[in-house]
This record gives sequence, C-alpha cells and structure tokens, in this order.
Amino acid sequence: MHGTRRTRETPEAIKARKEREQSKLKEYLSLTDHVMARKKSSDWSKEAFDATTKLLQINPEFYTVWNYRRNVMLNGLFMNSTPDIINDILSEDLSMTTAALKAHPKVYWIWNHRRWCLENVPEGPAGTQDWKKANWNRELAVVEKMLDADARNFHAWNYRRYVLANTPEQRPETAELAYTTRKIEANFSNFSAWHQRSKVYVSLWESGKLNKDKCIEAELELVKNAMYTDPNDQSAWLYHRWLIGDGQNHHILASEIAAIEELLEEQPDSKWCLESLVHYRRLLVRNHAMVIGKEESERILRQCIEFLQQLQTLDTPRKRRYQDILDRLSVAKQ
Amino acid sequence: MPLDKLYVDKHVAYIKSLGENKDDLTYHLTAHLRMNAIYWGLTALSIMKHKDALDRDEMIEYVMSCWDDEAGAFGPHPDHDPHILSTLSAIQILTMQDALYRVDVPRVVKFILSLQQPSGVFAGDSFGEIDTRFSYIAVNALSLLGHLHELDVDRTVQYILACKNYDGGFGNVIGAESHSGQVFVCVAALAILDRLDVIDEEMLGWWLAERQLPNGGLNGRPEKLEDVCYSFWVLSALATLKKIPWIDSDKLTAFILSAQDPENGGIADRPGDMVDVFHTHFGIAGLSLLGYPGLEDLDPVYCMPASLIEARGLRKGWEALPRRTAA
Repeated sequence: MHGTRRTRETPEAIKARKEREQSKLKEYLSLTDHVMARKKSSDWSKEAFDATTKLLQINPEFYTVWNYRRNVMLNGLFMNSTPDIINDILSEDLSMTTAALKAHPKVYWIWNHRRWCLENVPEGPAGTQDWKKANWNRELAVVEKMLDADARNFHAWNYRRYVLANTPEQRPETAELAYTTRKIEANFSNFSAWHQRSKVYVSLWESGKLNKDKCIEAELELVKNAMYTDPNDQSAWLYHRWLIGDGQNHHILASEIAAIEELLEEQPDSKWCLESLVHYRRLLVRNHAMVIGKEESERILRQCIEFLQQLQTLDTPRKRRYQDILDRLSVAKQ
Repeated sequence: MPLDKLYVDKHVAYIKSLGENKDDLTYHLTAHLRMNAIYWGLTALSIMKHKDALDRDEMIEYVMSCWDDEAGAFGPHPDHDPHILSTLSAIQILTMQDALYRVDVPRVVKFILSLQQPSGVFAGDSFGEIDTRFSYIAVNALSLLGHLHELDVDRTVQYILACKNYDGGFGNVIGAESHSGQVFVCVAALAILDRLDVIDEEMLGWWLAERQLPNGGLNGRPEKLEDVCYSFWVLSALATLKKIPWIDSDKLTAFILSAQDPENGGIADRPGDMVDVFHTHFGIAGLSLLGYPGLEDLDPVYCMPASLIEARGLRKGWEALPRRTAA
C-alpha cells in the first residue's frame, strides 16, 4: 500500500484489531448488500440515493456505486424535478466530491463523478447560463487548492486542463501562463508546471497570440535561473531541451552552449551540464556543419567523446547509454 | 533476515493467504480490484514457478461469476459493474489457466470495440472515462482473443501519438504529463500493433534511464520518489526498446529485494512499508526482466508468462536481461 509503514503485529494484536473491526465490517457489508439489492431492483428513490452517499463516504473506490448514484439521479431524482432542483442536487454532489477529494486526492472515480456532475448542471434560470457559469467558475479554485496540497498530483493537473478547455467563460491563456510562473517560482522542481507551461505556449504560438522567438528568449532566461539554482534538478534541463528542440536556430544553440559551458566551469562535475553539452553539440554538428566548418566539427565531436567518457565515471548507473552514444560517434567518424 | 535474495516461499504463502482474509475490512474495501488482484497473484505465482498454489477450478469459477451477460463483459466482483479493466484481467487469467473456451469471445470483442471513441482512444466503460490505459487494454485483450484484425489500428495509434510529449514519453490523455505507467501502456500497445516506428527511441530511452534514483529504485516522473511498481513499468518500456542495460540492474534488483517483507512475504512500494499484491506482482515482474535466477521469463508487452505468449505466436521483439544462475 502506497506510503503506509509496515508494523509488526503480534497474533494477539491482529486478533484484537479484527475484533475491533468487526462492527465496522458488519456495518459495511450490510450497507453494501442493502445498496446492491436496491440497485438490482432498479430502485431510483431518494432513499437509495442517500444509501449510496453513506457507502461512498466509507469507500469512494466503489465505482459501481458511483455508477448507480448517477443512474438514480437520471432515472429518479431528476425525473420530476425542475432545473433549479437539479442544479441544487448537482451542486451538493460537487461539494461532496470536494470533501472526498481532500481525503482521497488520487481516486480516479471521484474525479470522474465530478466531471459528470459539472457536465450535467442545467444552464440557468430564464435563458441565462448562470448556474452553469457559477459551477464551472468554482472549479478552478477547487483544483488550485488541490494543487496547493500536492503540486504534482496529475489527476488535478488533468482536471485543470479539462476545466480550462471546457469552461463556458473562457479566460485568456496568458492567465494560465502566469499560474505556471507562480507554481515554478514556488518550486523549480515542479516539472508538472513546466510541462503545463510548454503546452500553453504551443497553443499561444499556434493561435498567433504570442511570438515564438521572443517567448523563447525570455524562457531561456527563466530556465537559466532554475539551472543555476539547482544544477541537479532535471525539470529545468528537460524544459531547456524543449526550448532548444531540434536546434535549427544556430544563434540560440551556440549561445546556450556557451551559457552551459559557463555553468560547467562553476560546477565541473555537473552531470546535467555535461550531458546537455553533448546533446547540443551533436545538434550543432548535425545541423550547422556548413557554418562551423569541418575542423571545428571534428573538434566539437572530440569534446563530446571526452565528456561522454567523463560521464561514464560520474554517472555510473547509465554508463551503457553513454557507451552506446560513444560507439555511434566513432562509427560516424569512420 | 537479510534482504539480498528473493523469499519465494514466503511470497507464495503470502499470495495464497490473500483469499483467506475474509474477516478483514481491507479485503472487502478492495472488492472492486478483486479480478485485477487475482491476475496479479496468478502472474506472480507463475513467474515464481508456483502457478498451482491457487486452485484452478475455483479461480475459473470466480472469474465466470463476474460475467455480466447484459454487457458481454466482466466486472471485478459478482454484482459489480463491468469495466474494461476487469475484462482484460479476466481474459488474462483464463488464458493463463487455458480456459478461454469458457468465454463468449464475439460478445467480449463487441464490448471492447464499442468503447472506442471517434478520437481513437478507448473508454473504460459506458460512463466514458478515457485514458491511454484503456487503449492498451483493448489492444492487449483483442490480441489475446485473436481479434486484433477487427481494430481500427490507425485511429488507435493516432490518439496514442497525440499523447506523446517532447520528452519522448506519453500521458494518459492529450496534453497530460509523461508518466512511466502511461509510457508502459503506450509503448506496449504500439509494440503489439507493430508501430514502434512512431517512438522517439533516443529521447524516450534517455527519459526512462533518468527514472533511476541514487538508491537504485525508479520513479514515475522527474523529481518524484521511487516506487517498486515503476520497476516493471519503466523496465517493460526499456525491454521493448532493448535498452534495459541503460540503467543499473544490480542496484534496481537490490532495491526491489529491499522492499520485501522477509517474515510474512510480499513486496511493498518501498522498504519498510506495508506489502500488497500489486507491488508483489510488479516487483517480481521487474526481477524477472532483470534476469533474476530461478524465475520464469515474463513477457514485458503483455505482462504475462513469456512462454505462453510465444506459444500463441504473439511475441514481439523485446529483450530482457539473460537469466542468471544462482551463485
């Protein structure tokens, strides 16, 4: 079980625990039987609905009961209800899942139920979209709380992207950029935030709202800060690699190589400096051999070989990977 | 007790004991995972060469008691709703027990194919949660059932490809961050569909190799903690790319072994934690791919005994480490 420490229980302790658990177990099993019997008889009543609430509070992983709960709503509670009552029922379920997520932030089924509720909220009174807007607008605040508690929770990030894409009142994507800046500044190691940032940028570039070249320049500055703050943190190096991409821009590639060389002087044993330099120098030779000339290309590849040999002793778990690259470099030279 | 060897007998006893905990609350709270748990237990036992430790007939009867005749699929437990997750586990169990003849194959195939969405991804059930996990499950199940030809391969691959990130990895939906578990399912699905050509092998191999932490364990994403279950997920993808040597296998072996409970059996997520059948299975699966002595070969693409997959003519071109002989 994830993150639960093992305790040694004596046989007496196990017996005592099981005895203590007996009443809970009995209650759980009889509640389960009760709900399943109602489900079997297609019971769509309020009593059935309340029974699922009780059962799901004990066991939010019981997805069959979430399914049943939705069917009770669709076939029962909603049938003779006005839209404002339906809105109340769904708003209450959204509150219930907020509480459930606080206790169980990684249970897929709770997140799924939340989406279903959100998607089924009626538009609003008298031709407005007021209910829909009110419920969707609350979602970003909820998901931000979840990401404050665990900034790497991928369920929460996925849900965030889902809300941003589907909310009736779209906000500018630059607001999401600002959010990732906040998350990254709070913790440079938050790769989830870097990842989100890369997705937002791609979208902004594709729609022509931001200029790619200008953004890249600014981003290289930001990521340099992170690299200097902790040169062992993978997040920044991965993001850097995204910014450089296939290295078609000779100017950027050359100046980034120079910047990393500078960092390497300060941190001569930095694996990430060495590894990145090998990668970027190989890109330089591959894409810009005409510009830099044959002699310089050969010098750069000799440097790569040197660095790869150094990496083999610095980063022994991955020495075979460095060897494979070395082998390829020497084949290319022949 | 020293943690430098695999306590096979203890783990066999632990897995056998799991069905005997019916007075335990946790046993009942995890009923929704029962079918998966049986698959994990049976696969781990098979890899440890103790497949017969669990009663075959009883197991087959349990699986069949989870058949939902309305949907034409399996739930995880009698009276629980059918889902693609439990349906694959049921098919895997019946395949391992040589009892697929018990299944109404055309109906299961129909159920699985009905879950494919216009985008190419699969839903888990009629409620519509989508995930590349479900795409893999569909591909794996259709392949085991001999009905892969009915799948719209291009559309399936298209969605998986749309989940590929610049780091070479894959997320569970379009836009999601790369995660070792999703890398396993996406790479394995592409392997079964003979479409590994769409993978950026160098980039992904690098990303996977960087999952290993100084303590030997593997994490699921950059700057996260190690966990035994990632041993299999990362190793499966590395095996498919023929790059297991890109990580330190001795250190990973030692890490998995250190997460055992040497007294009561079972393997935990990390040393000193509570064991469970999920981590026991993925730990042993990882050890098999690492060539640990005395274990059966595991197929990293299907996560089932390799001999079985080979006999069905389904083996893909993966490479595990050679089986070592005990010192």
